[in-house]
Amino acid sequence: MVCMKESLKTLFTTYVRWAIVLSLLLYLVPAAGWALTSDTATARSNETSTSNVLGGVPTRVTWEAMVDKGESVAAVSLQFPEGSALTEETTVRVTVLDGTERVDTDSTATVDAGASCVNVEFAQPLEEGHRLRIETYDAALPNVEGEVTLAGTYQRDDGEQVPLADSPAIKVTSASPAQKIVNWLDEQPWVQAWNSVPILRLFLNPQLVVSSIPTLVVGWLLSLMLVLLGFPLAIPIGLAFAFMKISRSRILHVIAAIYTGVVRGTPLFLQIYIAFFGLPLMGIKLNDYVLAVLVLAFNSGAYMCEIFRAGIQSIPKGQFEASRSLGMNAVQTMFSVIIPQTVRRVIPTMTSEFILLYKDTSLLAAVGVMELMLYARSLVANTGNMTPYIVAALFYLVVTLPLIHVVGILEKKLALSDEGGADTKKRKNRRGAYQQMAEEIAGGSDDGSVSYQQLANAVDTSYAHGMKGD
Amino acid sequence: MADTPQKTAESRADAGTSSVTDPMISIQHLSKHFGELEVLRDVNIDIARGEVVVVLGPSGSGKSTMLRCINLLEQPTGGKIFIEGEEITAPKVNVDRLRERVGMVFQQFNLFPHLSAKKNVMLAQRKVLKRSAAEAERVALENLARVGLADRADYMPSQLSGGQQQRVAIARALAMDPHVMLFDEATSALDPELVRGVLDVMRGLAEGGMTMVVVTHEMGFAREVADRVIFMEEGYVVEEGTPEEVFDHPKSDRTKDFLGHIQ
Ligand SMILES: Nc1ncnc2c1ncn2[C@@H]1O[C@H](COP(=O)(O)OP(=O)(O)OP(=O)(O)O)[C@@H](O)[C@H]1O
Ligand SMILES: [Mg+2]
Repeated sequence: MVCMKESLKTLFTTYVRWAIVLSLLLYLVPAAGWALTSDTATARSNETSTSNVLGGVPTRVTWEAMVDKGESVAAVSLQFPEGSALTEETTVRVTVLDGTERVDTDSTATVDAGASCVNVEFAQPLEEGHRLRIETYDAALPNVEGEVTLAGTYQRDDGEQVPLADSPAIKVTSASPAQKIVNWLDEQPWVQAWNSVPILRLFLNPQLVVSSIPTLVVGWLLSLMLVLLGFPLAIPIGLAFAFMKISRSRILHVIAAIYTGVVRGTPLFLQIYIAFFGLPLMGIKLNDYVLAVLVLAFNSGAYMCEIFRAGIQSIPKGQFEASRSLGMNAVQTMFSVIIPQTVRRVIPTMTSEFILLYKDTSLLAAVGVMELMLYARSLVANTGNMTPYIVAALFYLVVTLPLIHVVGILEKKLALSDEGGADTKKRKNRRGAYQQMAEEIAGGSDDGSVSYQQLANAVDTSYAHGMKGD
Repeated sequence: MADTPQKTAESRADAGTSSVTDPMISIQHLSKHFGELEVLRDVNIDIARGEVVVVLGPSGSGKSTMLRCINLLEQPTGGKIFIEGEEITAPKVNVDRLRERVGMVFQQFNLFPHLSAKKNVMLAQRKVLKRSAAEAERVALENLARVGLADRADYMPSQLSGGQQQRVAIARALAMDPHVMLFDEATSALDPELVRGVLDVMRGLAEGGMTMVVVTHEMGFAREVADRVIFMEEGYVVEEGTPEEVFDHPKSDRTKDFLGHIQ
């Protein structure tokens, strides 16, 4: 049997022989029109949680055709488009229908993997009005974006070879690397064993872990973008309101108190709803992401205000007084003395606030802002499987866990450096350490006594090495 | 001023304020209330240029409040204060410019903990006096050397002992070229072995002719360095005079009481 498309292609690419091709085509076109008309060509979706047909990934291709008037078909050769992959695994099922009745026919189907052809021969020729269905299992369509068609030839009862018209087009999407891994996973025995445990299959399905990652990465980046824009915006808002709150002006104080009170006293969820449904009612239309960033900043600003206020007020009064007594004015004092110390103190709390805000971006899913949570939710809706939520959880944790760790370290550091101040308790503690050092020195000296100078030297050395005396 | 009525008339000092001409600081009828609480009552003190005045008194007698009024960290309720003839209690006085001339050293040092010793001394020079970085650094190192801490210039306050911190605080105030230095119990927060270093620095300053008002409980220092000792109680100046007069021949019973307790 000849695979027409293959040979046609050779002719086409042989540039100098274009005339011969033309005449061949003209010769092959029967005057009576097509007598085996393909009206259906479909491929089953082979991508998890979408209806896409992926190229390069095995699928089931269904091709159907009607036998026209006065025709009898003895054999059909179905030519898959170039780049298709038929393998040893590829199997074919042939069905012949008369109306809705199934016709018993003897047919032999062979797969020509090298030429990407499926050949079917019938013991009795198909008759007028018969519908032929050829289902090819485990055949991969070309890994391209776009439409492909099936072609080929058929053989009449009298032995004449007639080309088939192109089938209706099949839309193919090229398979992602993730999908290829999924298909590989499908084959693995351990994956099958794993998935046979319901709780593992429902919450940690390996294929879904892989296939949801590309989508969730996008969601993750969007969530990060929201928080990375919203958080820095919240800092000046918080600082401004913190100044208002500690200012002597009654009005400014009241404004700041109302802002922080209302924002911290109501759920962010509610604030999001008001912003997303209320502003459009007032005719204010903003891009969803812009609005989302503004709502996050507005919300976080209130918490930041309290963080800064508490931070500024935690600076001992003596710092203000020392600064003012040196002739620095209020603004110089604030920016050169108070704020730098405040920043050190509030960094752990601010980091915690960042973590909270990052997690809170998930609330935006409720108003349709595409971010990690919403992507995860739609994957879950498509697959009926919890795995995308678990993967989303990992994406949240990738950011939050290291930051939680950092907060811990910062708090410890802060506690240490706070003890470096001028309080007596600290010095008492240090003296204990001095005592110990003195004993060590004494152990090495002849008479066992320690001079003040030796002690002082030891102490200074320990300071030089940044030793904390506790 | 000599005829200022004082409630404890017996305590009026002979070496009183009237003997000072062209005073560096003149405190006239100073009073200060915190709400109902009267902390200072009709305080009158004149302090001459180069004079070292030590203020004694029991806790709560108003010593700190008086010092703080001199650089307006507290706003006096009544009376007037002149520094170098300029009334600082007048309305619309430039407080920051006044404070440049009046250095203050606190009991709790109050170094800026985020800045090294050198930077502590440089900051106000840069911000207030607008000195260049190089100039400010030179002055800083000069003053750190003056208090014996040239080698600690790059230490953070937390790496310094209390005594060293207090000396840096003194250097910080001196770097502003003040005309007056106020010391509020500069050694009270220090371990005994660290007190001497700070007192030595203060003694050096006094010998160099600095006008100083010193609140302290260090009687030895007061006796040795003070030109005049003022004893306060419950907001009044109860007694004042030379160290010999106040320590050896106190007139007021309260002063006797107080000195008895201390020694
Ligand atoms: N800001 C303030 N508000 C209210 N009361 C104050 C304030 N500052 C000081 N006082 C009160 O004023 C009185 C005098 O305080 P001040 O600090 O001047 O005393 P002192 O002589 O320095 O005492 P000490 O030796 O304990 O330092 C005290 O009763 C104190 O409680
Ligand atoms: Mg005091």
